[in-house]
Amino acid sequence: MENKTIIIGAGPAGLTAAITIASRGHSVVVIDEYMKPGGRLLGQLYEEPNGNWWNGIVESDKLHQQAKKLGVDIKLHTPVSNIEVQDGIWSVHTDVEIHETTHLLLATGAAENPLPIKGWTLPGVMSVGAAQVMTNVHRVKPGERGVIIGVNVLSSAIAMELKMADIDIACITLPVSNTVNEKFGQPLEVMNSLLHVSHMAPSAFIKMGSKLMKNDFFKQLGITFFPKNGVKMWDIPIMLRKAVTEIIGDGQVEGVKISTINPAGEVIPGTEEIIGADFVCIAGGLYPLAELAAVAGCPFYHIEELGGYVPLHNERMESTLPGLYVAGNITGIEGAKVAMCQGQTAGLSIANNLENGILEKELVSSIQHTEHTRENAYIQFHPEIAHGKDKLKLYWDEYNAAVTK
Amino acid sequence: MSQRIINHPVLGKLDESQTITFTFNDVEYSALQNESIAAALLANGIRTLRHHEESGSPRGIYCNIGHCFECRVTVDGVQGERACLTPLTQGMKVVSGGKLQTDVRDWRANHGK
Amino acid sequence: MSEKDIIICRCEEVTYSELKETARKFQCTPRELKLRTRAGMGYCGGRTCRNAVDSIALESTERNESQISLKYQPPIRPVSFGKLGEVIE
Repeated sequence: MENKTIIIGAGPAGLTAAITIASRGHSVVVIDEYMKPGGRLLGQLYEEPNGNWWNGIVESDKLHQQAKKLGVDIKLHTPVSNIEVQDGIWSVHTDVEIHETTHLLLATGAAENPLPIKGWTLPGVMSVGAAQVMTNVHRVKPGERGVIIGVNVLSSAIAMELKMADIDIACITLPVSNTVNEKFGQPLEVMNSLLHVSHMAPSAFIKMGSKLMKNDFFKQLGITFFPKNGVKMWDIPIMLRKAVTEIIGDGQVEGVKISTINPAGEVIPGTEEIIGADFVCIAGGLYPLAELAAVAGCPFYHIEELGGYVPLHNERMESTLPGLYVAGNITGIEGAKVAMCQGQTAGLSIANNLENGILEKELVSSIQHTEHTRENAYIQFHPEIAHGKDKLKLYWDEYNAAVTK
Repeated sequence: MSQRIINHPVLGKLDESQTITFTFNDVEYSALQNESIAAALLANGIRTLRHHEESGSPRGIYCNIGHCFECRVTVDGVQGERACLTPLTQGMKVVSGGKLQTDVRDWRANHGK
Repeated sequence: MSEKDIIICRCEEVTYSELKETARKFQCTPRELKLRTRAGMGYCGGRTCRNAVDSIALESTERNESQISLKYQPPIRPVSFGKLGEVIE
């Protein structure tokens, strides 16, 4: 049997790992249930501080072409339903066949958290990531006019992308606070979480000739308390003193009911109004999608800074199970560039293990490169991500000390 | 009216050269070759992809990348296919799912259980 | 159940008030809350609502930091019986 390394997930982490392993002369299969390679990278589109555009479609295509050139076998539209290990051989179950390997990398990315609101099952309500993919990847407008619920780094980045595609955004606002939406429905909490992304405020729209932002959104945040009708960023009203209490429509979205809230997030009676919209985006953030690591039996730890439960792994992207590796958002919510670095590290780890440890130096430098990329990331999903990674290191050491005892 | 984004300031012009036709609940629509069923239906102004099996409430795409299974439809006779991840080909027959019978629940409701 | 109530689990149409009430009555873990209400047991496997179910249960119980609150089970994607039973020669 030819021992092909198997990678599950054709996003930035999975493809970079595939390229790294294949360029060492090993054979690789990448499996993904989506119809195109690139994962969440496909939808990304933003201008970097140096004026270059980060175009997810172009970046995905670069990775895809490179992988193809190296002979990587990419199986798209192929869901994986289970993985199992026996005598050091991993079996990967897909709809069509069972693949076997000694080295398996899980690069399954992240899933979106919902902010449940009355009426959110109506057609026309979608996750903010769904709207991003519809707009940038499929080039279909999610609607003519939308309301985005949930104010955070992801939703503001995507709001700008929708705007670029000439889609009207009525406002970005909060969900009504309840047990589930709690953190997302309290103005002060949301405002604090936004402060670390203040560098994103200067907008590409200024250069593209759109209306100039009159006030620096974030300065205004710091000085006065938030005005009831919000301030505009990229010409989109951001309303931190309002919350959507219900999404309404007969058979599909026709609008939202919105009320003024106090700083604690409680609705002020008698302030309700209706905003018309034909689509609504829910932006509740991302969490690591680690279901395959869970069914394989990896130990897990809940680390808030990383976005939820993550499978225990070390800096070499090795899990505690022999032959099983992880990379990308399954290890914590970060940007595509960090995911690519992690993919490279995981790829080098696998190649190093296949080649009797001759890649130690490359591996160490790849780990350093990941840290450097993390520190300089343009978009940070959690301000304390490095702290989260430190916690994970402690858990790893604890776990290994207990095992070797 | 088309919902497609033909011209984009950064992504450029959309390639609309290869079109196909498919049916959704026996009505014929046009689409771009290999785009997802969900994208094609939305471009044709269709948001409702199925109705909930028990309550009959209408559902459309939610996550658009295969996680939520809200967009599941029957494609050429195969049930439970995700419209958001299935590329369209010429002549594909897509059918939405509807409310199913809930005999036990109805009986309970009628008998005060 | 009021028709206007907020759905938490979209697949099984389990509502916010149902979950809150069950959590209040039984002071139960996320797993027990899931088993009592069917939230997270539908077609998607709980991928959409698991953290929402967690947060309701964790109002009255402590989070277990070293164990996923709602267990994942294979298959993690629906597999048809036809495909399950297929014998590959």
